[in-house]
Formats: sequence, structure tokens, C-alpha cells
Amino acid sequence: MMKLSNIHKTYGNGALQIAVLKDINLTIEPGEFVAIMGPSGSGKSTLMNIIGFLDYPSSGNYELNGEMISSFKEKQLAQLRNQHIGFVFQQFFLLPRIPAVKNVETPLIYAGVSKRERRQKAQQMLEKVGLEDRIKHLPNQLSGGQKQRVAIARALVNDPSVIMADEPTGALDSKTSEQIMELFVQLNEEGKTVILVTHEEEVAAHAKRVITIRDGMITDDRRQDA
Amino acid sequence: MNIVESFKIAFSSIWNHKIRSILTMLGIIIGVAAVIIIVAIGQGAQSMMTDELFAVDKNVIELYYEQDFSDEEGMMGDFYYEEPEITQEDIQILQALPDIRSVIATNSAWGSVTYNDKNAEPEITGVSSEYFSAQSIEVLEGRPINNRDNNGMNRVAMIDTVAREKLFKENEDPLGAIISLDDNPYKVVGVYNSPIPEQFRWSEGGEMLMPRSVIALMYGSREVDRLAVIANDSERIAETGWLAADTLTEHKQLENGSYTTYDLSEIENEINQMVLIMTLFIGSIAGISLLVGGIGVMNIMLVSVSERTREIGLRKALGATRGKILFQFLIESITLTSLGGLIGIGFASATAGLITLLSPIDAMVSPIVILIGVGFSAFIGIIFGILPANKASKLSPIDALRYE
Ligand SMILES: Nc1ncnc2c1ncn2[C@@H]1O[C@H](COP(=O)(O)OP(=O)(O)OP(=O)(O)O)[C@@H](O)[C@H]1O
Ligand SMILES: [Mg+2]
Repeated sequence: MMKLSNIHKTYGNGALQIAVLKDINLTIEPGEFVAIMGPSGSGKSTLMNIIGFLDYPSSGNYELNGEMISSFKEKQLAQLRNQHIGFVFQQFFLLPRIPAVKNVETPLIYAGVSKRERRQKAQQMLEKVGLEDRIKHLPNQLSGGQKQRVAIARALVNDPSVIMADEPTGALDSKTSEQIMELFVQLNEEGKTVILVTHEEEVAAHAKRVITIRDGMITDDRRQDA
Repeated sequence: MNIVESFKIAFSSIWNHKIRSILTMLGIIIGVAAVIIIVAIGQGAQSMMTDELFAVDKNVIELYYEQDFSDEEGMMGDFYYEEPEITQEDIQILQALPDIRSVIATNSAWGSVTYNDKNAEPEITGVSSEYFSAQSIEVLEGRPINNRDNNGMNRVAMIDTVAREKLFKENEDPLGAIISLDDNPYKVVGVYNSPIPEQFRWSEGGEMLMPRSVIALMYGSREVDRLAVIANDSERIAETGWLAADTLTEHKQLENGSYTTYDLSEIENEINQMVLIMTLFIGSIAGISLLVGGIGVMNIMLVSVSERTREIGLRKALGATRGKILFQFLIESITLTSLGGLIGIGFASATAGLITLLSPIDAMVSPIVILIGVGFSAFIGIIFGILPANKASKLSPIDALRYE
């Protein structure tokens, strides 16, 4: 369970200070499928990054399964990013010079998994996202949709309980987006918590819960039938 | 993540940026190579100069006769130089001194030697029997020059292997052959190995030994024109030289002059000093070039790290700790600069080999210099790689990922 209470995030200081997140209160239970929507600049990515341990709140509490994140050391946070969360970025962020399978292996290196097991798991994940025939390809030899699949395989490879995706379909056409979304639905059905940010209603339609953010505040939080 | 893994990542990252890696390494390669070559040449030149000074033996010291100037004579032209003759008795007196192992008393000549239709121009030394043990001469065939040869003025000669090659065919027996030296016949009685190392020989014509009395007679020279003593203890070489000179002066009851010696250790110190100053001077110029190279490395490392700030952010987002990021960059920059250092050492060794081959200087690349070279380049890698990496690793993952 992830519980955010009175989360604030401000950038800059003095007169230039801007509040990006204002008093966010949010609880996400295991197994949920949450879509975060809202206009550009409303603070969606900022919230995602805080939930995914990539960024720190300026104030407020973040509890993970009853433990305060603020008390965590750098090493523990790294471990959480490594084991607990699988993050998918809009811009894919693949390492450009190594083949797909090596990209997928990267989190396993930091998890201290042996070479043979790494290769095996990475291939398994690439099969799961339908890229078994692109294992040795470099990122620049892949289409946008394929790159995002590699990124999803990478997010999945350490078997995290939460998959987070910031506009995973933002750079993809609608058909490819649909395929990627089916992948997220499938992962959610397998029991993983899925949190994603999107601008598109069709994408949000797959989620069981839609949270709307405006000007750094949650203005709507409703459940729906996927 | 273990060290092997880190080195693999490091090598593949270096390999993936070949041009940039080579450019980065270039400064290190040139700097390290320059320093090593300069030190090698410096040491080689130093040992060549000292070797040349002490070519024959570290415990040989020469004796010279020095005539006194008095006010009435000397400068005005009625001065004439008269060096006393060294007799067999003088030699025996010196030989008897406890500090002296042996005495070298020789004279010399140049001449043209022919045998059948072959010709050579060897360096001729007039010797007596004690010369052979003093210079540890290896007689290969026949016999050495002995006292009877000197006393009887026997017209005999020994040739060294070089002269033998020039005058005789390989299967020809030189012993007993009558060679002609400046149109006078001499009988070859022995063949020996020259004790002078090849690079210090004056001519390529080989050498010849003859009774010094014969040379004095035939060439009208003094029977002894080079007098040197070999000390028992090379540590006390200077004292031994002075003892010999004073003993000789006293024994001969000289009035107008005296025997002296040169203290070669002083000259050696001076040469060492000079070479040291030269090495330091050129070495510091090379050091500056290494420093400039290092700054180049730092520049490229900074570019590389800021270029890879996103990579750092991504790796952190995927679970890398700060320590692991730092470690990876450390390994990478050390690998890069050490590789540069190794290439520089290889380059320097090849150059030093070439210098040794093509010049009289024996350029020596010492292991210590190699160690310092590798150590220094690794050090540059640590300093100039870790600082930017540390900067990047401090960013939050998202700040690093957003870095433009
Ligand atoms: N590092 C930063 N420094 C200063 N301001 C920032 C920084 N990061 C984000 N912001 C500001 O925070 C606000 C929210 O940004 P955020 O990226 O969370 O928006 P978003 O809802 O994800 O928008 P979009 O839909 O366009 O991706 C923006 O006004 C942005 O300018
Ligand atoms: Mg965003």
C-alpha cells in the first residue's frame, strides 16, 4: 500500500518559488490500475516521480506498507527503485549502444543476479512483450512501439509489484498504443499495481481508477469499470 | 555488480566511443611516452658517459707525469718537457704496494698490416706479460706475449678476433703466420678476445698486441707511455691512485715534476649531476605536457559525464546506488587512462628500442618508470573522472534524467 499525506512540492526559492504539488492526499492499494490525467503542467509527472522514488517531496509524508519513506537511506531507495517499482518513461530512455536484451538486463545487474539468470530472465521478458525476434537489436534498430516494449520488459524484469508509466503511449500511434495498453491490462490482471499518466481518454478507459490533477491539486478521483 | 562486470561495461563504453576514447587517451599517451623516453635517454646517456669513462674497469686509475713550472723557465719558450722513463723496476715497486693488484704499463702504435692480399689497420698496444692478468685477457689460440719477448725484442704479435677475421680465412691457422706491419715482418703467436666492449672500440680495424720494447724500438716511442694501476678495492680507487703516484715520485727522486692522478669519481659525480639537471629540466617539460594532457582528459571526462548524466539518471532509476555509479565511472576512467598509459609505455619502449638500435645510447626503460607511468595515468583517471562523476551521481534520478 502506498499512502501519500499532505504532499507538497515546490521548485525554486524566494519570489520565484512555484508550488507544483499542493497538499496531495492519495492512497493506492495493491492490484489497482490507476490513470492520472490532467492538463499539461499540472504536476502529473512530478507526482509520479515522487510515488516512484525518483524525486523527493518538499513536505508531507509518504508511507510504503506502513514505513516512512523520508527515513529511508539512499541505498534503501535505490533498492526500492530496483525491486519494488518498474518505471516506464515516455521517452523510453534505453541505453543506445547496447542491444535490447542487455537493456532489459540492466536492473538485474544492480540486483546482483548472475549472468546466466539475467540473460534467461531478460529473454523471457522480451518474449512476454512480443519481441523474442528482436533480442540482439540495438535501440536505433527498433520502432517506437518496439522500444517501449523493451522499456516495459525492462520494468518487469525484476518482478516489481508496481508498474509506473508516464505517458507510455505519448510517442506512439493509436494502434500501437492499444497494443501497449493491452500489455498493461494483462499485467494488472496478473496482480501488479499499474499507475500511468495519460492525456488520452482511450488510454484512461483501460484503468479502474482515474485521478485528475489541476494546478497541483487532485480535483477528481473516481473508480470506473474497465 | 562485481569488478569484472564493471570492467566489461567500461571496455564496451570505451569501445563504443572509439574516436573520443583515442583522443582522450592521446594526451596521456604522448605525456607518458615523452616522460618515459626522456628518462630512458637520460639514464642511457648517463650510463654511456660513465661507462666510457670507466670503460675498462671500475678500479683502474691512470698515472700522469706533471712537470713543475718555475718562474724563470716555462712561459717564455725555453721550457722543455721531459718525462722520465718508466723502468721495469718502477713497475715492480708499484706492483709491491699492498693496495695495488696489478700495473698496466703500455705504449701504442698505429699501422697497416698485410697478410697475403688481405689488409687491416689495427690499433697496436705494446705490452708486457703482466698486461694479460691485469686486463683479464682471454687467449683463444697460441700464447700471450711474455717477458722473453720483451727482453729479447722478439718480433712477435698477437691479434684479436676482429683482426684475425680481417687477415685470415676462417679455416686458416694464423699461428706462426708471418704478417707484415709497415713492411716489417712479425710472427703471429696468439689470438685473443678484446676486453673492450664493442661499442667503445675506437676503430673497426681490430687490435694487436706486441712486446712494448719492440714498439719502442720500431716507432721510436717511449717504452711506457700509459701507466695505470688496478686497485684491489674499487672503493679506495682514488687513494690507491695517489699512493701509487706519490710512491713513484719518491722512488724516482723527481725534482722538476711529479706523478699525479685524476680522481674520476669527482668527474663521475659531475656528469651525474649534469645529466640529472638535464633529465629534470626536460622531464619537467614533459611533466607539463602530461599535465596539459591530464587537463584534456578532464575536459573530455566532464563532457562525457555531463553527456551521460541521463544515463546516470536512468541507471539510478533502475536501482543503481550512488556508490555503484561512482564505481563504474571510476573503473571506466581508470581503464581509459591506464590504457592510454600502457599504449604510451609500449610506444616509449619501442622508441627506446629504436634509439638503442640506431644510436650509441642504450636507452633503458626501467620498471620503476613504467610503474610510475601507469600509476600516474590511473591517478589522472581517478582525479579527472571521479570529480565529474561524483557531481552527476549526487543529482536525484529525475534531475539527472531531465538533464539537457
Ligand atoms: N526541475 C524543475 N524546476 C522548476 N520547475 C519545474 C521543474 N520540474 C517541473 N517543473 C514545473 O512543474 C510543473 C509541473 O510539471 P510536470 O512535469 O509535473 O507537469 P505534467 O503535468 O507532467 O505536464 P505534461 O503533461 O506536459 O507532462 C510545470 O509548471 C513545470 O514547469
Ligand atoms: Mg509529464
